[in-house]
Amino acid sequence: MNALIPLMTLLPLVMAPVTFALLAYKLNWHALATTLLTLAISIAAAFAFDWKHADTLQLVTVWPWISDFGFTFSFGVDAISLCLVLLTTFLMPLAVLGSFAAIQERRREFFFWLLMLESAMLGTFVARDLIFFYICFEFTLIPLFFLIGIFGSTQRLRAARVFFLYTFTGSMLTLAGLLFVAWHATGGSGRWNFDISYLTAAAQQLSYPQQMLVLGALLAGFAVKVPLFPLHTWLPLAHTEAPTAGSVILAGVLLKLGTYGLLRFALPMTPQAIVALAPYIGLIAVIGILYTALICWVQKDLKKLIAYSSVSHLGFCVLGLFALGSNLIGPTGSVLYMINHGLSTGALFLCVGMIYERLHTREMRHMQGLAKVMPVWSFFMVFFCLASVGLPGLNGFVGEFLTLLGAYTSPHTLGQPYAVAAGFGMIFAAIYILYMVGKVVFGPLVLPPADLHAPATTPAGPAHHAAPKDLNFREIVTLAPLAIACLALGLYPQPVIDCLQSPLETLTHPVTSVVQAQMSAQGPVTAVTSEEKNLPDWPSDTSPLANPGDAEHR
Amino acid sequence: MTLQPAILIPWLPALSAGLCGLCCVRKSWRRLAAPLTIGAIFASFLLAVLVSPAVKPFDPAEPDLAPHVVTLFSWIHVGDFRVDMAYFLDPLTLLMLMVVCGVGTLVAVYAAGYMAGDRGYARFFAGVSLFIFAMTTLVMADNLVLLYLGWEGVGLCSYLLIGFYYQKPSAVAAAKKAFIVNRIGDLGFALGIFLIYSTFHTVSLAEVLSLAHHVEEPTTAHLWIPFLLMLGAFGKSAQIPLYVWLPDAMEGPTPVSALIHAATMVTAGVYMIARLLPVFELSPYALPTVAIVGAVTALFAATIALCQYDLKRIYAYSTISQLGYMFLGVGVLSTVGGMFHLFTHAFFKALLFLTAGSVMHALAGQLDLRKISGLRTRMPITCLLMLFGCLALAGFPFTAGFFSKDLILADVLVRGLSLHQPLYTTLAVVGLVTAFLTAFYTFRLWFRVFLGPTRYELGDEHHAADGAHAAGHAADAHDIKIEHVHDAHEMPWLMNAPLVVLAVGALFAGLFCKSWLAGLVTQSSAAAAAAHSLHAHATLCGYDPHLAMEFISSAVAVLGIAAAAYFHWLNRPAADSVAARYRGLVSLLNHKYYVDEIYDALIVRPLRALGGLCFVLDRLIVEGLVALVGFLPRLLGLGLQPTQQGALQGYGLGMAAGIAILALLIALALGT
Repeated sequence: MNALIPLMTLLPLVMAPVTFALLAYKLNWHALATTLLTLAISIAAAFAFDWKHADTLQLVTVWPWISDFGFTFSFGVDAISLCLVLLTTFLMPLAVLGSFAAIQERRREFFFWLLMLESAMLGTFVARDLIFFYICFEFTLIPLFFLIGIFGSTQRLRAARVFFLYTFTGSMLTLAGLLFVAWHATGGSGRWNFDISYLTAAAQQLSYPQQMLVLGALLAGFAVKVPLFPLHTWLPLAHTEAPTAGSVILAGVLLKLGTYGLLRFALPMTPQAIVALAPYIGLIAVIGILYTALICWVQKDLKKLIAYSSVSHLGFCVLGLFALGSNLIGPTGSVLYMINHGLSTGALFLCVGMIYERLHTREMRHMQGLAKVMPVWSFFMVFFCLASVGLPGLNGFVGEFLTLLGAYTSPHTLGQPYAVAAGFGMIFAAIYILYMVGKVVFGPLVLPPADLHAPATTPAGPAHHAAPKDLNFREIVTLAPLAIACLALGLYPQPVIDCLQSPLETLTHPVTSVVQAQMSAQGPVTAVTSEEKNLPDWPSDTSPLANPGDAEHR
Repeated sequence: MTLQPAILIPWLPALSAGLCGLCCVRKSWRRLAAPLTIGAIFASFLLAVLVSPAVKPFDPAEPDLAPHVVTLFSWIHVGDFRVDMAYFLDPLTLLMLMVVCGVGTLVAVYAAGYMAGDRGYARFFAGVSLFIFAMTTLVMADNLVLLYLGWEGVGLCSYLLIGFYYQKPSAVAAAKKAFIVNRIGDLGFALGIFLIYSTFHTVSLAEVLSLAHHVEEPTTAHLWIPFLLMLGAFGKSAQIPLYVWLPDAMEGPTPVSALIHAATMVTAGVYMIARLLPVFELSPYALPTVAIVGAVTALFAATIALCQYDLKRIYAYSTISQLGYMFLGVGVLSTVGGMFHLFTHAFFKALLFLTAGSVMHALAGQLDLRKISGLRTRMPITCLLMLFGCLALAGFPFTAGFFSKDLILADVLVRGLSLHQPLYTTLAVVGLVTAFLTAFYTFRLWFRVFLGPTRYELGDEHHAADGAHAAGHAADAHDIKIEHVHDAHEMPWLMNAPLVVLAVGALFAGLFCKSWLAGLVTQSSAAAAAAHSLHAHATLCGYDPHLAMEFISSAVAVLGIAAAAYFHWLNRPAADSVAARYRGLVSLLNHKYYVDEIYDALIVRPLRALGGLCFVLDRLIVEGLVALVGFLPRLLGLGLQPTQQGALQGYGLGMAAGIAILALLIALALGT
């Protein structure tokens, strides 16, 4: 059973070169079969996983690599990793399925890079060795670079370059920060150990200035990846130019590498620095939420609008992640948000891709009232828009509500003003999403002029594009699982929430202790401040005011 | 009898919504949608009646949750933040369920005829079913987050159904506006929930009510909670300043206007305040604010209604105005009055909208008051039915609206007189003025439409704008049954039968349901206030204020009707000359005080401009950074360029200098 995780991770890697040996018409099915098999293995892993002990590393496999330097290939998952693995393996077949018609040229390379990308992403989530993690983390760039650079739209080369430069520069600094932690952990003995759990434990010895340094380095890479305002500018460009599958994976999984990195490394390794910087990071997240939401409203390109909305959504994700100290509401919401955003935004990119295949444009002024000719597509589009806008009953709501509630009830790192300001993001989200739906789905039917990009198949006669056909069976099969997942996670998210609790508890525990230590230091002072008494924002049973001696009881 | 079957009340319509959605797939299945929906809503109604004996009175002072809560499954549990899919039933819930499912059934039956032949027949009923699911969830929610689910859910259905004729740009814009304005209110509501959770550490309705009831000294947080929740109520129930979406919402099909935008959804705010009354009492300023906003909205909307020409819009403003009365009632702790008015209003306003729908149906979409006159001969039954509705709305003695409106105004007056607070006395006067205006504009409409010389222009479209549009396409042509609307005609009995039921309610619900309803309300959390609301020791010039108010408001109603009769039936030129004399005022009212324009100029445009500005800034960052990355190496090159000119002496000199410096350094290093 233990081989499940490496098997899952390596399967796409092994199957990727096979594409070059296959007949052209088998390519689609080869990629689909590989991703489906990976999904099956990941589901098997989920069954093999003991959810009762969700915070312990399970299904661990360690292969020696360069033992002199302490490098190993070590695989293992906790519940958070496994959830993100499942998200990845779930999205991949759909991304492949969505590319059947979209990619007509150089399909070997396309599926080769797509499968390579899947391995890299899975490797990032299951790696338990720092170097292994970093290699996978960086290796995600290369497939995506080619996917954008070869299969993108008109500005693809520029987009690929900007994307690569931004993320690569950031992650170099991240590597430096992580290596510093590892070096510090050797304690001058020269015996390197890159096991992540070991490093996390060892990092507790870092002094406060060292923590600040490490956190700064980690943020440099992870914040670009998330992307956090103002480092987000590569994302809209990359999304707009990327092929549909690339966008789906980029929004669905790759952005989560950033938040996952913050959760896995930054929170447990640098707790004091986190507590000190959380208000500023929260501020940046809130600014990002509002700023990009407003930008969405003036977009003319459908895909760019969704790309910017991704930035806004990830702002919520980061906000929840730093809502620490009092309870797990914020981090829980944040992880749920990662999953939910992957589903709904991935689906939106698929929807937009389907339109692009038909109309060869994404300009909103060229299309309107598509509900008339494409009712099934419109249903899915509106559905995923509502999920994305956080309608209760669909998945987006749970994450959004919990991140905001977490921010609201964590006075030590964030607090009420953050939730209030970010809450306006809810209104702006409604504005830009409904603006888009009103433009594209509803209204009188408008189709782009036929000669817009003049595809050979369009007869030269009519002034307007022929009415596009509604979704075919393959496309419905692509979108339906996402819709079902959105509904299921909206109505019954409790199993996911339950399994996230104990790993999150473990990961946020250092921060919580720091907060509680600070609280007990300030305890007697705040107790007499009337303003604090009026706003008892933390549950009284965890408050050190109630039992000052127990501050470190965890 | 247990409460268990109550679980089905929201989920039967949800099931029906899913099935109706499936019915969209095939044309031959579409007609199944109506029976499915009617059946599901009526079954929910029956279930509500069925469980009613098991529903126990709820007292926040001594809460005993077990008899009230039915849990389905746990929805979101994180630490001590616990939210269940659970339903809370007390007599107030029961009352709301009866209104929602009762009116829902009647409207669905009417709509089965009204929407016949529309391409979106199944889509329409899917929306209605989904709405009933959301609305019943809202009123049955055991906790605030589930209530929020219903709250946003009804907003969604409202969005989908206002935009039902999605090919009309005005309908799409109206739907968008409704959702966004509601979202603004919802943000307030959500923040209210956050504050409640951080204050009481629970979001369970019963626990919050009980905790709020026992708060001795309200803190700052307690004072803020009602104001945040209030914002949500103002959004959903279309009160100042968030009322602007409701008049535009009339773009939806008329049955939707009747069900969602008159009888049920828009009253959710009133219900929420009544439900959370102990929470609202935490702040001494909260309920007076509700009362003032209610009274001002009532007057404000009534004045706008005076000068509108669109049948449905007049009723829309009248709805805003009547909701204002309900807020006024709840705001002065007259929850019985507020809920009573909610109850009677559901009957007469649904009746009015549906009869307006009949007129619209008969006249091919014509709604302009100036182009309709004397329809009584063509549509005698509709004429009579609408008359009953108008009488109730105008508060004509012994109709339903008379009793409920009177109760609110009398309670306001009693409060003003016995507390010697001129505020409430003023509000009572505002309410009376509004009552006069209400009677006037209601009968202005009725006299114009049904009396006078028979003359009308047909509208330019079939009632199904969607269908009319589709008619142009050959593929769809056989899809629509164009009813041969050459002339105004009476409605079939399928559509009139539900109206008769509503008319009976509009006439008699006030007389016969008052004590039943008062019993229900006083046995719920809303009674916490009713119990210590004031008993009338005050007198008005020596008379009992309740009795006095009955006479005054009767007189006001009759006066208003008489004035309307003079200007809009007997002497129409007089109305025109009055309008001509006050052209400026009429224009101001006709343009709704230019509020939409003001909001557009002050909020929408600046915000969008800010968005544009941000986008430009964003482009600058990306362009700037990329340019910088490309520029730095070139700058370096430019700086070094003069040294690379191929002049051999220069290179030699440089080499010599370099060696010299190196030699010097080595010498220094060795010397020390």
